[in-house]
Amino acid sequence: MSTPKGSVLVVGGGIAGVQAALDLADSGFYVHLVEKSSAIGGSMSQLDKTFPTNDCSACILSPKLVEAGRHLNINLLTLSEVLDVSGEPGNFTVRVKQNPRYVDPNKCIACGTCAQKCPKKVPNEFDLGLGKRKAIYLRYPQAVPLKYAIDPKACIYLNKPGRCGFCQKVCPTGAINFDEKPKELSLEVGTIILALGFKPFDPTSLDFTGYGKLNNVVTSMEFERLLSPSGPCMGHLERPSDKKEPKKIAWLQCIGSRDINRACHGYCSSVCCMYAIKQAVIAKEHAQSGDLASSIFYMDMRTHGKGFEAYYERAKEQGIEFHRARVHTVLPAENDNLTLRYTDTKGNVHEEEFELVVLSVGLETDPGVMKLCHELGIQLDQDNFISTTPFAPVATNRQGIYVCGAVCEPKDIPQSVMEASAAACKAQELLSKARWTETKKKEFPPERNVYAEPPRVGVFVCSCGINIASVVDVKEVTEYAKTLPGVVFAQNNLFTCSQDTINQMAEIIKRERLNRVVVASCTPRTHEPLFQETLREAGINKFLFEMANIRDQDSWVHQNWPEKATEKAKDLVRMAVAKVLGDEPLPYNQLPVTKKALVIGAGVAGMVSALSLADQGFPVCLVERKDRLGGHARKFFRTWQGQPMQEYLEELTKRIEDHPLVEIELGATVEEVSGSVGQFKTRLSNGKDVEHGVAIVAVGAESYKPRTGKWNYLYGKNPNVFTLLELDQRFIKADKALSGLNQAVFIHCVGSRVPERPYCSRVCCTHAIDQALKLKELNPDMDIFMLYRDIRTYGKREHLYQEAREKGIIFIRYDLEHLPVASEEDGNIVIEVEDQIIGERIRLHPDILVLASGVRPRDDVGELSKLFKCAMTQEGFLLEAHMKLRPVDFATDGVYLAGLCHYPKPVEETIAQAQAAASRAAMILSKDAVPAESITAQVNPMKCTGCGVCTRVCAYHAVAIDQNSGKAAVDTGLCKGCGACVAGCRSDAITLRNLGNEQLMAEVEAAMEG
Amino acid sequence: MPSINEKITEEIRKLASSLLDSGTVAAFLGFTKGTLPGRMQPFVARKPEDAQKLHWNSFCVVNLANYLPALLKSFEPPRRPNDPPPEGPLPKVGVLATGCWSRNMVVQIQENQIDRDRVVIVGISSRGMVDRKKLLEKVGGREITSIDEDDHSLTVTGQGFEEKINRWDVVRDNCQTCVHPDPVIYDELIGELGGERKIPDRFRQVDEIEALSIDERWSWFQNEISSCIRCYACRNACPLCYCPTCFVDDSRPQWVGKSIDKVDTALFHILRAYHCAGRCTDCGSCESVCPMGIRMRLFTKKLQKDVLELYDFEPGLDLETPLPLSTYRMDDPQDFILTHIKKGEEK
Amino acid sequence: METGKNSDWEPKIIAFLCNWCSYAGADLAGVSRYQYPPSIRIVRVPCSGRISANLILDALRSGADGVLVSGCHPGDCHYISGNLYARRRFALLERFLEFIGIEPGRVNFTWISASEGEQFAKVAQEVTERVKRLGPARKLVKEIESCPA
Repeated sequence: MSTPKGSVLVVGGGIAGVQAALDLADSGFYVHLVEKSSAIGGSMSQLDKTFPTNDCSACILSPKLVEAGRHLNINLLTLSEVLDVSGEPGNFTVRVKQNPRYVDPNKCIACGTCAQKCPKKVPNEFDLGLGKRKAIYLRYPQAVPLKYAIDPKACIYLNKPGRCGFCQKVCPTGAINFDEKPKELSLEVGTIILALGFKPFDPTSLDFTGYGKLNNVVTSMEFERLLSPSGPCMGHLERPSDKKEPKKIAWLQCIGSRDINRACHGYCSSVCCMYAIKQAVIAKEHAQSGDLASSIFYMDMRTHGKGFEAYYERAKEQGIEFHRARVHTVLPAENDNLTLRYTDTKGNVHEEEFELVVLSVGLETDPGVMKLCHELGIQLDQDNFISTTPFAPVATNRQGIYVCGAVCEPKDIPQSVMEASAAACKAQELLSKARWTETKKKEFPPERNVYAEPPRVGVFVCSCGINIASVVDVKEVTEYAKTLPGVVFAQNNLFTCSQDTINQMAEIIKRERLNRVVVASCTPRTHEPLFQETLREAGINKFLFEMANIRDQDSWVHQNWPEKATEKAKDLVRMAVAKVLGDEPLPYNQLPVTKKALVIGAGVAGMVSALSLADQGFPVCLVERKDRLGGHARKFFRTWQGQPMQEYLEELTKRIEDHPLVEIELGATVEEVSGSVGQFKTRLSNGKDVEHGVAIVAVGAESYKPRTGKWNYLYGKNPNVFTLLELDQRFIKADKALSGLNQAVFIHCVGSRVPERPYCSRVCCTHAIDQALKLKELNPDMDIFMLYRDIRTYGKREHLYQEAREKGIIFIRYDLEHLPVASEEDGNIVIEVEDQIIGERIRLHPDILVLASGVRPRDDVGELSKLFKCAMTQEGFLLEAHMKLRPVDFATDGVYLAGLCHYPKPVEETIAQAQAAASRAAMILSKDAVPAESITAQVNPMKCTGCGVCTRVCAYHAVAIDQNSGKAAVDTGLCKGCGACVAGCRSDAITLRNLGNEQLMAEVEAAMEG
Repeated sequence: MPSINEKITEEIRKLASSLLDSGTVAAFLGFTKGTLPGRMQPFVARKPEDAQKLHWNSFCVVNLANYLPALLKSFEPPRRPNDPPPEGPLPKVGVLATGCWSRNMVVQIQENQIDRDRVVIVGISSRGMVDRKKLLEKVGGREITSIDEDDHSLTVTGQGFEEKINRWDVVRDNCQTCVHPDPVIYDELIGELGGERKIPDRFRQVDEIEALSIDERWSWFQNEISSCIRCYACRNACPLCYCPTCFVDDSRPQWVGKSIDKVDTALFHILRAYHCAGRCTDCGSCESVCPMGIRMRLFTKKLQKDVLELYDFEPGLDLETPLPLSTYRMDDPQDFILTHIKKGEEK
Repeated sequence: METGKNSDWEPKIIAFLCNWCSYAGADLAGVSRYQYPPSIRIVRVPCSGRISANLILDALRSGADGVLVSGCHPGDCHYISGNLYARRRFALLERFLEFIGIEPGRVNFTWISASEGEQFAKVAQEVTERVKRLGPARKLVKEIESCPA
């Protein structure tokens, strides 16, 4: 390969595409992000809330979109599509067609006058046609870029020139250009990432649902829009027929999924169970009368992700009804209501009336995407998803072209984000030589020296759509802000975080010569960085900024006290103003980066991460507590798609062992960690010290062995009782005896989904069914019984389940009240289980009993997490920084996680996560220095007595008594700004910059002034 | 036969004189008689012959540790803030230390205020110092012109009266409840060690207040500090109050108003006591010097009791154990954390 | 979860919340729409270890009817041990304030993690109720002109 290009093409502006673009742009590559619609954000921007944290989707997504929209190294190409690709990996040429917006983005200020005047109304595709928009429109209120676009199919002028053209007349900036023509661009890129997303299944063809004929039957995506505050009914739940709030809603699962006959989709869409529960929970919250009855009709409840099972249990407690039943007909009833006819597990037929029916539609590939793949020579699988293999989960059949997100299998947001980073990682491996060759550098204007200026505070009060404005009187708060000392400007915004408002804010800062800014909106935890950068762009130091949290901590928690919430908002604004007055400009500190990674754990996850970083040219120290590489995977027979695990492992181990940049420390554990991102220093149990810039924790997990208790099932007592991995051992050894078996019984969920281990282990259903199929392969006449609670063969794994049933494997459901019972008769195993369909007890006499026991966290993970200051879940898995959008980062900078220590997952997901961790780590390693804490402790030597309290309470050894002066001195590189020293100091001699006692007191005192 | 104090005085003089004479110390910090009966004042002997002015009796109520850092500093060559410390050994200072003073010195050594290598600590087991206020009370507040003391009694004379008073009856509260009268660190010892004392109700005064209702406690507190004139004698006499700028004098931020407003006074006393938490060795200097008779020792004693109860710690017993507010244990008591609502409170 | 029927008086309570756990917990209460009385004024600090006795007393002096300090649970501190030093400071302060007659319940301490939105709402509720039972704080509030008793 000749010198590769230093830029990457990402196709698709959904969350996956945006994440891949951000990862690459932050680690030295120039990214072209192609999106077919007029704004990025994809399907996630249409969602109301996200499971399992109930985070507002737009709220967590928005900062990322804005970041991508503003990123110097991301070239956003909206209304664009890829025509073709030529060339080879490292040097592709891509032809892109950019359709006209008819609005000049450099002139449009998104004032909306054009849309007001536009006479043409068409169904709004963002609201799936539930609402209307004009022919000139914004895709959604927080759209990035926040620029209007004209829909050429709807526009009167474009279809009949000379007829309308009102928008052009009223546009205050002259941004409308009807003469704009499509453009063709030719881009030279090194690699291509396809993040083409999915399309919700259209249930019109499914007659039994009544969709398209009955008004009050909606799809789940439509229901998201009904719930959304930016949707057609402003977040006040209304049903389509009569705009009344429904009191009884049913969700029908598996519409367009797990259905070969009617929908032609054999796969499971993986996310619908969780989103249905989420919608039921959120709908209950929305319901103003508070008496909403929600029922979910399902086949298997698939809550197989991190935190999902607990969410499911909580939903049950909240009174959401779950019916294990497939609805066969939705019939019209009186008052636009709907009657569902369904059969329960006992075979009884029921009829029940509902006021609204939500179809939990599955995910499928858009025909346009299929066409594009065909043109690019990208291979699709039987379900029309892009084909990948378990050991290369983000690689397509065409070298140099990678894939991520729901276009290769239905999946949830964190999984898509993980794959996006993984795809970015693969791109970096290919193009590592070209890093920083095509990027631009961000230059902020010089900062105005504000020391001598009297305070000029600007206050921006956000409505957050209706999130704040429906409770807090934002106009009153804005007017009040104007009266506060130091405030010279205040205004109210609909969405302060929208690109347009942000740009406007920068203008206002310059125009009004503001030297302090307060934003009263949501939480600084998500939005502070965004606003702070705006200050920098406007030429003032970013620390001259405070936020008043009037949404999460006010309007959302005092919905029934609008007046008091308004008073509180004023107090919070006053407090923020009092605080900001004391803020001083702070330096932007930087920490040099040691360009080396420490990877802990040499299982598949650790080895993949290590190899990927080493392939990018970064030295890696790989630490493994055991005396050999391989970890848990050593015990695995094959992937569910049938690839032998041991061959892969052998190859991977060999590559690691031969790699000149990987140093392997076997039989070693981490003893001590000091330092922080960019410059960690770790002592290993073998006495070695490793200096490294980042760390990846991939320490794996254990399989649960039911040695005692009610899940024991003769395990350890009868020689023919195995766990899944123990049976795998016999497959690996090609144990001939297995072919001679007559009967095998598998018990699923052994020790899982119970109060002691309240989570689903995600992998066991698929693993067990694959083993059952392997046994069938060995002896087609073998009788195999699977005793299960819910079969959770999510995604394409569902095909295995179908195959198993086709091959005569018998599935018998049990529940926690009716556990299977094992006993021994003359050394032979006897299993008794109640068949809930026929209502009879069945006795089985298997030759082997296989226990599908789950994955449990390792006991020593806690100590490791403390060393790296990482958090853990209640179950004992490591906790990422954000469940949705930061799935491989820890809250601690420079530390990442991958594999089973995060949550149980199959090998393809482990590999993707390991690659993602490598991508995130490369964001640090690719730089010479990373930003460091600016809010640090500062000593006033005049007051310091040198008593040393500060040195003792500092967990980072950042304060020491200077031998010469006898006074405390702070190493700002080590200081994390916690303030323990400040509170410990009796002499008030040490303070935290911009968080000093005086400032906090001013804030407290301001709170009391109202 | 000379009294115990007379013997001690003699030994102090002998030892101080020889330490000064041999050049071991450049100065010796002790007490000399004040101008009024029952008033002793700190005294620095700089020449062997000065040693004869040193004196020891039951009225040595001021903690000498308070003067030690400044005295040590006075022997250092002047230097600017960032100059390196002077090379070579610096002159030493001799100092008398009873149990509480020596423990106080330990705390100050831990807090880098005293350089252990530069002090020659002359330990004296304390027999308890007299509370002048108690004494005055015994004589009905009449003016005292002279006090003679022997080992167990004081003979107090004034205009038209002479009374013999049992010494222990007028010993300070802190001394009466002291369990560690012996010096914990010393280089020289004068007299004999008395050993640990067992006082089953050493926190009796605190217990009595704790037994009051919340309103009664507030009244007690208000009443106790009502006469405070904010003269800061208590602070100035306390060897632990060594901040160059005390919080009461700070104007950025202004933690406490400078008036004698009752809230400002209350905050002063709360914070002063709190700053001594885990450090105070109950030497009683603060109370002894208070011109208004405020019993501010009760505040520090309460904190002392809690520190002992919660963290099993008494300040100054050794140089190694870290001070309680600059260390922690994972299993420190946390009954006060909400959700562990205390019994009887939610009536 | 609402109260306040017994009186119209809404106390003002200063809540010092650590940024990483308790402030996030308070955000989560919002995200989950757990309702609690509008009496709490949150001051965001990096760590509960940042809070000194001085700051708590200052809040009371400024007229707060109650103070709440909340940090990460022991072992979860983002700064490793800030909350553990804080725990000692607070334990002594709490006992001392009670000793001199400040009502228990004026100054409250708790641990709330980032995932305990509901717990935050409950604590806010409970602290408000405690303070309401106690009535307006007078003892350490500095008045501009002291009224004769």
